[in-house]
Amino acid sequence: MHPFQYVRVRESRGAVDAGRAAETSYLAGGTSILDLMKLGVERPNRIVDINALPYQKVEESAGGVAIGALARNSDVADHPLIKTRYPAISQALLSGASPQLRNMASMSGNLLQRTRCPYFREVASACNKRRPGSGCAAMDGYNRMHAILGTSASCIAVHPSDLCVALMALEASVHTERPAGARAIPIADFHRLPEDHPELETVLEPGEVITHITLPATPFFSRSRYVKVRDRASFAFALASAAVALDVAQGRVHAARVALGGVATKPWRSVETEQALVGEPATLATFERAAALSVAAAQTRKHNVFKVALLKSTLVRALSSVAEVT
Amino acid sequence: MGFLHLTPRLERRATPIALTLGGGRTLRLGAFEGEPVVLALFARAGAVAFSEETLGGLRAELRGLGAVLALISRDGIWCFRPDDELELLASADEISETELAAVFAGYGLMFPAGGGGPDRAVYVIDHEQRVQFERHAGPGGGLGDLLSALRSAGRALLAPPRDFALSRREVLISSLVAGFTLALLDGCAKTGTLPEASAAPVGAAETGAEVDVTLDVNGVRHRLRLEPRVTLLDALRERLALTGTKKGCDQGQCGTCTVLVNGRRINSCLTLAVMVEAEKIVTIEGLAQGERLHPMQQAFITEDALQCGYCTPGQIMSAVGLLRERRATSAAEIREHMSGNLCRCGAYPNIVAAIQRVGKEG
Repeated sequence: MHPFQYVRVRESRGAVDAGRAAETSYLAGGTSILDLMKLGVERPNRIVDINALPYQKVEESAGGVAIGALARNSDVADHPLIKTRYPAISQALLSGASPQLRNMASMSGNLLQRTRCPYFREVASACNKRRPGSGCAAMDGYNRMHAILGTSASCIAVHPSDLCVALMALEASVHTERPAGARAIPIADFHRLPEDHPELETVLEPGEVITHITLPATPFFSRSRYVKVRDRASFAFALASAAVALDVAQGRVHAARVALGGVATKPWRSVETEQALVGEPATLATFERAAALSVAAAQTRKHNVFKVALLKSTLVRALSSVAEVT
Repeated sequence: MGFLHLTPRLERRATPIALTLGGGRTLRLGAFEGEPVVLALFARAGAVAFSEETLGGLRAELRGLGAVLALISRDGIWCFRPDDELELLASADEISETELAAVFAGYGLMFPAGGGGPDRAVYVIDHEQRVQFERHAGPGGGLGDLLSALRSAGRALLAPPRDFALSRREVLISSLVAGFTLALLDGCAKTGTLPEASAAPVGAAETGAEVDVTLDVNGVRHRLRLEPRVTLLDALRERLALTGTKKGCDQGQCGTCTVLVNGRRINSCLTLAVMVEAEKIVTIEGLAQGERLHPMQQAFITEDALQCGYCTPGQIMSAVGLLRERRATSAAEIREHMSGNLCRCGAYPNIVAAIQRVGKEG
């Protein structure tokens, strides 16, 4: 691991100031960044440990719920407010990583976790995300795990988070402190598409610290579900996943939220699917028709063609399970 | 035995020791002839608080090492052979102050302690009674210097001389001794004779600069000076000689490095030592109560929940963490919530059975 200077901060102003310097990274749970530092992918000269900041709580806020940026994945997953009002978030968290990692990993770290693309993680490979302009070894490499949505000519790396998919479906906001003051960023605007700059993954500025995440007071989010398909039964990244919330009354869909994971370069909201669901009867036929729209724009590569069918099935399963339709 | 005659860089022979132990017995350094000795000297009364528990954690490491620990202090004289129990050779009231003073003087310590001079020392003496390493420390701080000097000594012992090829066993033994001497000195911290960790924020002045870290491992506080990039796993294994915690993938994927921090299971390979300062860390060495195994350790034996055993410390720590989480009782739930621990031998059915056994027994 590249040597670094280590600084511990205890209040957000200090974190903002310390984080503005070049080649500086924040350290929360460490599960992602330390791994990447060992691989030589991340080489910060300065680490600002923010674990002492008071952002650990999960609490009610403006009718919704506020989750502290440093709350640990396991604690959020087990929290009664989350389990009852936003079950998809609890399920997404519990479907990710291992119990040990969930005890360590923070919410803000999860928002910022980096792709598992093997060419990104292997420093000898060409990777526009790791080394802008160096090319993309995944395009014609082994791209079975790679994205079919939101891709560009420079990057097809999948955003690996389960949590973010649920946050996307449940319309979360990311709250931050930055040199210019606090702001709230809708989750849909938080991550960037790779386009020509896959090295830029979020809209965060240097010295901008995530303080908490809020979830809106939307009653039907208590009927939400996260379904994840992976290569092994547990402790694996998604091949395809879906977070859905449905408001169904008298057998008809009144409102729907649909987000997809494991298939896209950022947490992917499928507005087409949502529109195709609203006003329709909550039946398997509706779900299948709507799910087909989610992959209409899919761009596959040599090894990931299977994800189109897998994603559709995963989404149909998530919708039918939350609507209790078989 | 190949111990420590690897680097005759110090030709000086150890100062002879003669201490009357009572019952007509005498402790002489020569008594250990043919065996390497880690000699720890403490001139200040009340400086030694090495309980059985403290040394119990090191017993596994010392076994097979072939070194003897001789601890000489105003509080008593102890001897610890790798395959024996810690033996109190003489209690404080049995030791002649005059003889003690002579021993301390021979090893450069002030006695009675005071006046700012060194009041404790560690010597590593090889099988031919040559001094291979020595270090003194005084009461007026300087622990950081002492620890980094000790680490240098550890590295020096590990570095093979140009004309001498070290066997794997010799490297192992040297590193164990270096780790052991560190642990010995860290033991002093428990008595409060050394400065407490500062409550001020840790901040290294420059890139890569070392920082002072206090780790609370299995109820014992250890003061270390290390680079911030040192993981908890490496600190446990390489600095504290607690090698029960294993390094597998070093990427958070196999779980063999699992330890408890404040009762929660985590991967020590993806945790920096500086991140867990002042937290309560429990490793596999800290589970048993003396000779009585933790129920989970016993259950792993009863259910034959291992083959090669490499993943076992991590499996057991993870299982202990799982029980505290109270989230899994069925075999399927246990499998799901033990997914962070891989077993290449495939002992999973028996691991699940062991965890269920402890769960049922409460």
